[in-house]
Amino acid sequence: MAISLNKGGNVSLSKSEPGLKKIMIGLGWDARSTDGADFDLDASAFMLGANGKVPNDNAFIFYNNLTSADGSVEHTGDNLTGSGDGDDEAIKVNLDGVPADVHAVAITVTIHDAEARRQNFGQVKNAFIRIVNDETGTEIARYDLTEDYSTETAMIFGEIYRHNNEWKFRAVGQGYAGGLAAMCAQYGINVA
Amino acid sequence: MTLLTLGANAPVPAGDLSVLIRHGSLSGAEIDVSAFLVTSAEKVRSDADMCFYGQPSVADGAVTLAGSGNGETRFAVAPSRIPAGVEKVIFTATIHENRATFGQLADIGVDVSGVQGQIPCAGMTETALILAELYLRNGAWKVRIVGQGFNGGLPALATHLGVEIADPAPAPASPPASTAPTPAPNTVNLSKVSLTKQNNAVNLKKDDGRFGKVRINLNWNQKTKKKGFFSRGSSGIDLDVGAFIETHDGKRDVVQALGNAFGDFSRPPYVKLLGDDRTGAVSDGEWLEINGDKWSEIKRVLVYAFIYEGVPNWQETDGVIRILVPGQPEIEVRMNEFGDRRAMCAVARLENDGGQVRVTREVTFHTGQRDMDEAYGWGFRWSAGRK
Repeated sequence: MAISLNKGGNVSLSKSEPGLKKIMIGLGWDARSTDGADFDLDASAFMLGANGKVPNDNAFIFYNNLTSADGSVEHTGDNLTGSGDGDDEAIKVNLDGVPADVHAVAITVTIHDAEARRQNFGQVKNAFIRIVNDETGTEIARYDLTEDYSTETAMIFGEIYRHNNEWKFRAVGQGYAGGLAAMCAQYGINVA
Repeated sequence: MTLLTLGANAPVPAGDLSVLIRHGSLSGAEIDVSAFLVTSAEKVRSDADMCFYGQPSVADGAVTLAGSGNGETRFAVAPSRIPAGVEKVIFTATIHENRATFGQLADIGVDVSGVQGQIPCAGMTETALILAELYLRNGAWKVRIVGQGFNGGLPALATHLGVEIADPAPAPASPPASTAPTPAPNTVNLSKVSLTKQNNAVNLKKDDGRFGKVRINLNWNQKTKKKGFFSRGSSGIDLDVGAFIETHDGKRDVVQALGNAFGDFSRPPYVKLLGDDRTGAVSDGEWLEINGDKWSEIKRVLVYAFIYEGVPNWQETDGVIRILVPGQPEIEVRMNEFGDRRAMCAVARLENDGGQVRVTREVTFHTGQRDMDEAYGWGFRWSAGRK
């Protein structure tokens, strides 16, 4: 059962999905069928310390850095067009393997080159981001980007965070101007 | 009122909707706006789900092309009557024969019963555009501004939406017989037939002899720039459309606003005039409807236009007569290339040619009904009338 999220809504992963060990964040969209530049959406993860920043660049999991040093967070690879069914990009998190000094994992979705290509989520067909129990396939939460974030080009999907020895998911759903570079600045990464 | 940008969506008011597309015009290129009723897979169920100039009312009137002219196209949508299985109504604009790109327009406005959006067109290379879509979301209708399309024009768009297109019409230089549209089964012929001096007749074939509702539209522009004191809606030019009808039993009728002879659709003469646009400000002008299902009873129809008020100069009126037969290409006759000052213009003859509709362009000018009657040998008795 998927939970419909409001901005800032919290889902206790251990309560809604007891025994949850592995989660998958899926990002999907349809390949462009009209003429023009492809829609290239990117899912990324930031493994954050207590100060809300990444301790080093390796804690930023994205299309050019697919796996965290500890192996607990893994990006399955960059999809440049949205071709293929279902989730077109996925980030898998092995909750038990996340190092103790990681307090939260922030998940973002951005449109590559959105400004130059003059694109937003509303122009992309069937764009969504969701969080799934990777062992059972049960969808825990989903955002419809095309419909509900139509005029945005980037958003913070949410944060998986530790609270009293359990993992929770906080749906942020906050649109963000400036794309992935702005996200990096927010989480303490200097972009070359 | 916020203006929806590309990609943005918003709910639309409940009830029947009026959709207005403001596209402006391009010199030397015609813009056609159409609506497609599609399933969740974004395909039409059949070619009957395409609402365009050749098929202005679809799904039992759930979506109708309510009129076009002056750079605008209007649709009426009754969401409650949209058939189950149709999840979207996609509004498109295409440039006839790809003679220009949408980049030549500044922008296109979309207005769905007051919910407004805008598509900036600068830099566009497309010749066919999906403008906006009405779509079902959680049981309610919403509108999304799309503004994406195809450089390949109408054929690419039609393929995208699951419509098969017949081969384009031959070049206008071909003899009229070969331009007579004979759409293959399950294809929609998207060619538009313009009757000109060189290409002045077309034969519309229909296997069962029934033509549905044949609609004849007269539209014109008020030319205000040369006569500054004429304001739109006051003392401008008033054009009227009318018809002489002869049935096979030899009975002859006149249908026109003058004398309040509005005719009857379901009984003889099977021709009805819808209202009377006195100013040209009604953007879709005047409509005359012929009951094509009764075509077997009709021998001939002479469609005419006359200048009821204003300066009788046809060039100034920019008048266009369009003849729309369901499932057939639109026929267009323009009167603006003539500067004739006689007020009466015989535009086209529709004749029953062995059960088919043979349309012949006339565009001859006369001083009045009586004069035209004599020229075409109808034999009415005339007396002066005023509406």
